[in-house]
Amino acid sequence: MKVKSWTALALSACMAASLAACGGSGAGESGTKGAGETKEAGESTGESDAKSDASGAELSVTIWDNNQEPGIKEILADFTKETGIQTKISVVKWNEYWTMLEAGAQGGSLPDVFWMHSNESERYMSNDMLLDLTDKIKESDKIKVENYPEDIWGLYTYKDHYYAVPKDIDTIALWYNKKLFDEAGLAYPTADWTWDDLTEAAKKLTKPDGSQYGLALKMDNNQAGYYNLVYDKGGYIINEDKTRSGWDDPKTIEGMNILAGWLKDGVIPSAQTQTENGEDVLLQSGKAAMALQGSWMVAAYRDNEYTAENCDIVELPKDAVTGKRVSIYNGLGWAAAKNGKHTEEAWKLIEYLGSEEAQRKQAELGITMSAYKGTSDAWAKSAKFNLQAYLNMMDDMVIRPYSKSTVTWETADNEIITKVYTGELTMEEACKKMAEQMNEKLAEEK
Amino acid sequence: MGEKRRGLSPRERSEWFWGWLFIFPTVLGLIVLNIIPIFQTIYQSFFKTGDFGKGNIFVGLKNYQKVFGDQEIWQALANTFRYAVVEVPFSIALSLVLAVLLNRKMRGRSFYRTVIFLPMVAAPAAVALVWRWLFNTEFGLINHVFKSSVSWISDPGIAIYSIAVIGIWSILGYNMVLFLAGLQEIPHDFYEAAEIDGASGVDSFFHITLPLLSPTIFFVMITRVIGALQVFDLIYMVIDETSPALPKTESLVYLFYRYSFVNKNIGYGSTIVVLLLLVTLLITVFQMLAQKKWVYYG
Repeated sequence: MKVKSWTALALSACMAASLAACGGSGAGESGTKGAGETKEAGESTGESDAKSDASGAELSVTIWDNNQEPGIKEILADFTKETGIQTKISVVKWNEYWTMLEAGAQGGSLPDVFWMHSNESERYMSNDMLLDLTDKIKESDKIKVENYPEDIWGLYTYKDHYYAVPKDIDTIALWYNKKLFDEAGLAYPTADWTWDDLTEAAKKLTKPDGSQYGLALKMDNNQAGYYNLVYDKGGYIINEDKTRSGWDDPKTIEGMNILAGWLKDGVIPSAQTQTENGEDVLLQSGKAAMALQGSWMVAAYRDNEYTAENCDIVELPKDAVTGKRVSIYNGLGWAAAKNGKHTEEAWKLIEYLGSEEAQRKQAELGITMSAYKGTSDAWAKSAKFNLQAYLNMMDDMVIRPYSKSTVTWETADNEIITKVYTGELTMEEACKKMAEQMNEKLAEEK
Repeated sequence: MGEKRRGLSPRERSEWFWGWLFIFPTVLGLIVLNIIPIFQTIYQSFFKTGDFGKGNIFVGLKNYQKVFGDQEIWQALANTFRYAVVEVPFSIALSLVLAVLLNRKMRGRSFYRTVIFLPMVAAPAAVALVWRWLFNTEFGLINHVFKSSVSWISDPGIAIYSIAVIGIWSILGYNMVLFLAGLQEIPHDFYEAAEIDGASGVDSFFHITLPLLSPTIFFVMITRVIGALQVFDLIYMVIDETSPALPKTESLVYLFYRYSFVNKNIGYGSTIVVLLLLVTLLITVFQMLAQKKWVYYG
């Protein structure tokens, strides 16, 4: 027994050793790189040594939008050609993206370079998770603050320090299905439309049997959807110093009542329908004749056969009373991890991505409109749609409402709005409720 | 070595040593991945947690007070129960019948067994995606075949049961395999003797199969109840965030996910899981006590 058991132990020890050897060989290989440079090979501790070698560094880049991946890959390839720094891009879908980033921030393993969004930026900046770019921007000859919209810098500025370089800018416009307009014998929407014109057209485009609706507007489509109505009427969602909600402002409610009217007229599909099939699916299947969509959706509609063939874009309608045509806008930023291993290289990449050259290329490739002023004109020619409408919407823009806990109050808002769609609440009740919960959460931020 | 083990024979000692050696990797995994996090979670439930695990503020039982006064939590608990009450009995009854049928000698037995077990091998995300389309109100196969327009997964009244149907479908194969293993243990003589005495197939099922299989049924029931109370992925994947059915379908684990990972309120999220832990413990203890009434250890 004893002899047997000891042989077994010896055997398993051998196996374990061989396993460890397997695992170790990777580190060993990268270790040899470092060993070549240091005289005492024994001291080289493998991985960290080899990676501090600039030429061996590979920057991890993480984004959340599949549609932008091919274009961004091209720009990253240009960067590698210019600097010799390798990059590796990964795409993580929006929801998982923030879970992953949160875990990465907490565990000290953020990607080297990644997208930042106004919903979350303040949490990351105020907790010192992002690389401070202030001095680097000052010294840079490629990044000049005045070349990008001030409000987008604002999203990524904390206590007068910059933590990200603006990547893009997005505006909102109206998508419509030409085929359905033709069938109904209606003229296409124009830039002179008011919201009342949209209402009238939507009524005519809605079929009573539920096979076709005038407009798709999902319950959580705030940025591209109802926020624009609110600001057209002169209302607001959050005040300047982010302490109070504007949901219960009479003008805000007035704007939201336009949406309530559409719901009452039945020109918008039910909450059930839209929760199962998003605005994009409804537009792509000819079930909805119009939709309010952000410029980030262009790539998806360009690549969809049906929408490429049948749909086009026009500026958002104006408000008949105030004459305002506001587009909510937002812009992503390129940020880097503060405790990353290659912060120097990461900055080089961010500087490159923000440079006029890369920003122009981003527009030309049709990835998105670029944040760098004057580089987006090329974008208007990147697809057969009337993309100029999105550029024209830049004339009157309001930055997407945000605070430190944007996600928390937005999630609750969406849940309340859904109840207006299902008829459980009137729009006015909903607005009051949203103001209440939002004020509560804003108070907790302090 | 301690005083107590002096009395052990060399053989016992060797068994002790090897026993621990072999379970060591598993125990280590359990401690690192399960046991330590359990205590951390309980610990965190007494805090208002700061961003990225920094700046936690001790708040005593405040989170618990909030949980008990939170309508949303009780609704989620009710949803979870509603799911469990449908999923567990149906999945057990159906898989038991399937197991008995597939325990006989018949053509294509392995084929059927494999087909029924397949959902277990499929990735949950893929399963959810396929069912989402089957259930789709506008374009779904089910509504298309039955010429109906039921909102299977977004009507608050029925969505949770639609989810339970997916749950039953996914777990059927696994339960069946466990029951098949249990059925092989039952000696064939019993059935022969019963047959000679003139018992029908149904009689044998109720008087031989069921009692002798009861330990397996008990095991499956305990694990399934615990599993059902933890339902999350199906709801997360199938029910859209804006769905009007969400308030009537979100489970406790779903709320935990939302508070911890979307709203980043880890303290409150932890409190929700601690509540779930207590509920699960209570139900399991109750089941353990009740087993004396019906489980037959031959």
